[in-house]
Amino acid sequence: MTTTTPPVTPTGAPRAPGDGARPAHRVRKVARRRELGACAALMTPFLLLLTLVFLIPVGTAVWLSFFQEDQPGLGFGPERTIFVGLRSYAAVLTDPTFLAGLGTVALYCLVYIPLMVVGALALALLLDAGVVRLRSWAQLGLFLPHAVPGIIAALIWLYLYTPGLSPVIELLGRADITVDLLGVHTVLPSIVNIALWSNLGYNMVVFYAALQAVPREVIEASTVDGAGPVRTALQVKTPLVRASIVMVAMFTLIWALQLFTEPMLLSQSTPMINSRFSPSMYIYDAAFTRNNYGLAAAASVILLLFTIALSYGVTRWTGRAGANEEAAR
Amino acid sequence: MPGLPGRRSVLGAITALPLAGALGACSGSDGNGGSRRSRGTGRATHVTFWSALRGSQEVVDEFNRTHDRIQVDFQQIPAGNQGGYAKLSNAARAGNAPDVATLEYPQVPGFAIDGVARDLTDLVDSAGGAGAGLREKLLPQALALTTFENRVFSIPLDIEPMVLHYRADYFAEYGLDVPRTWAQYEETARVIRRRAPERRIAIFPTDGGTQFAAYAWQAGARWFDTSRGAWNVSLADAPTRKVAAYWQRLADEDLVFMNASEGRQHDAQIGQGQVLTRLSGAWDAGAQMNARPGQKGQWRIAPLPQWDEDASRPAVGTHGGSTFAVTRDSRNPEAALEFIAWQVSHPDALRARLSSGASSQYPVAPALVAVGSEAFDRSYYGGQDIYRLFAQEAEKVRDGWTWGPRMTATQRLMQDGFARASGGQGSILDAVRAAEDGTMPDLRALGLATTRHST
Repeated sequence: MTTTTPPVTPTGAPRAPGDGARPAHRVRKVARRRELGACAALMTPFLLLLTLVFLIPVGTAVWLSFFQEDQPGLGFGPERTIFVGLRSYAAVLTDPTFLAGLGTVALYCLVYIPLMVVGALALALLLDAGVVRLRSWAQLGLFLPHAVPGIIAALIWLYLYTPGLSPVIELLGRADITVDLLGVHTVLPSIVNIALWSNLGYNMVVFYAALQAVPREVIEASTVDGAGPVRTALQVKTPLVRASIVMVAMFTLIWALQLFTEPMLLSQSTPMINSRFSPSMYIYDAAFTRNNYGLAAAASVILLLFTIALSYGVTRWTGRAGANEEAAR
Repeated sequence: MPGLPGRRSVLGAITALPLAGALGACSGSDGNGGSRRSRGTGRATHVTFWSALRGSQEVVDEFNRTHDRIQVDFQQIPAGNQGGYAKLSNAARAGNAPDVATLEYPQVPGFAIDGVARDLTDLVDSAGGAGAGLREKLLPQALALTTFENRVFSIPLDIEPMVLHYRADYFAEYGLDVPRTWAQYEETARVIRRRAPERRIAIFPTDGGTQFAAYAWQAGARWFDTSRGAWNVSLADAPTRKVAAYWQRLADEDLVFMNASEGRQHDAQIGQGQVLTRLSGAWDAGAQMNARPGQKGQWRIAPLPQWDEDASRPAVGTHGGSTFAVTRDSRNPEAALEFIAWQVSHPDALRARLSSGASSQYPVAPALVAVGSEAFDRSYYGGQDIYRLFAQEAEKVRDGWTWGPRMTATQRLMQDGFARASGGQGSILDAVRAAEDGTMPDLRALGLATTRHST
């Protein structure tokens, strides 16, 4: 970036007053100032929003997690705000319900992310290969669920999952198949299903766009070399959209770690989803049922750090894997 | 790019929804006619009052009609578990809590610790003050439940000993005696299961944290003990383990249904006579009467079964019951307490409440029992004098029980466990242990002194 390069002095030219280099230097300085001005003007809205909706809330959460209104003993005395150190963090990390929530989300990610990435990529490859007729209609149909807000999606699926309301369960019931889609073991797959339905189309479009950018000559070359459509898709196209795959996996991961809307809504109708089902629900419950803002803030900070660490890990790992592949080639 | 609608419009649709909800919530809580509103003309002191209790509007109207100096502005709010408590704590945080709030017994310590409920000891004990003589008018065992470290944080309205509601018609048909001990109750359950395979003696409510607490309380459990200046937590103590094992056995042998007590399923079970007893507070007699007028004459009420055949001192726990707290931010605590005192101890208050529909709440002020008894239509219970029974049972409420500082969360954890147990995962005792495990970090994070005793 030009703004970060140190000012360049003309080399070799003696810096005498009244020298010809001086006006050039001034011009450059002016240009640089203008550039800085434009930079500031363009960055300000972003920085302002970043501060308002990210830095200040995060700062508040961090403050809340370290300072609390305390009363000694049984807690009925007058309260005063004191520094409590890592007490809230220790409480969160020793809380079996929080750890169980993390476990639930980990399992959810393990099931959901591969399904999502493989499913979206497969659909995009099918569309790109021209296997599907009425391509734009198929795209629209697949994308449409993404336009439905998450809470509405959860409501629709809640209707389809609830025994006594759901036409699906009734139809299956007529065929003597009883399914409890909100049971102990089925509730997580049910949530995965909602998330897949909502986001598959969107990620498919991302992959499809990336595939459009694959040079046609490469595809033609592979066809000439005798690769069938499947081989072309898997061994030529897929490696070429690798960057998109990493990006989609990462966004899906970040999104999945914040699992909240679907289980929150489903919890209305099944006791199998408790009020601390996922870390985000734990945070909500800590703040608004338990009035324990310190605990909620500490859990939020932990979830944030966890998300950052995982995202960083994924980027590093895929980056290195990519480099290795390049080297092997 | 073909087929990609504006991402921004999608985002807009997603973000607009919760935002609209949040705005709605804000404007909702603004419309409370809060205590900060400038007072009207005249000399009357205004007191704001929030409650989810039925008949509160009638009580307030009667109070305003008979009082000049104090006028009450009432707002009906959702029941505690449906957002009423969240509303109260948010209002208290924002500094616009009402002067008088309604709390159920389990929530009193939590709101006292959070500084929402005001310490009323001085007002209650000062001679000539707003609450003078109030202590003597109320059952001491009720007041003990709202007193911590010898300080009163809330004034009880009703105390609800758990009783046995039973279907007299089926008991007669199957030749059953009313069980007096839990052993007899289990035996009765077996007979019912044998005689009528589609019927059961009761349900084990998977959403019944308060019922289970009442069972444990009766058996002598002390989940939270505040001696030695700390919250000594022992949810899975010996009496509780006994109670858990008992109900686990009944559930395992399919002698009780195991499902939620709120919702259509349980409605149907009671309505269709599939469940022959209900274990609940005295208030439930009136609730049953309102909910199912068609079952008139079929139900009777008996004392809760006891653990020992020849107990010289029978014991019960309570299930339900409400109290009134004055908030810390109240500008007129004396007027607020005067309103509360009238509400819990004046016959007119109870008459006004009963005018909104039948109720069998058992008043904490013994002087009001006659009023309630008189107003109650006995024919639903075949002429039984249920108030005399409640009076006996209220005397048996076991001393020494204390609710915990985060009871809503503790109960919810327990109920999550009960629900899992009903789905075949874990046991009732596991649910109790999980509730304790999940409660401790909470209390520690609040900075309370705690110890743990359960094994």
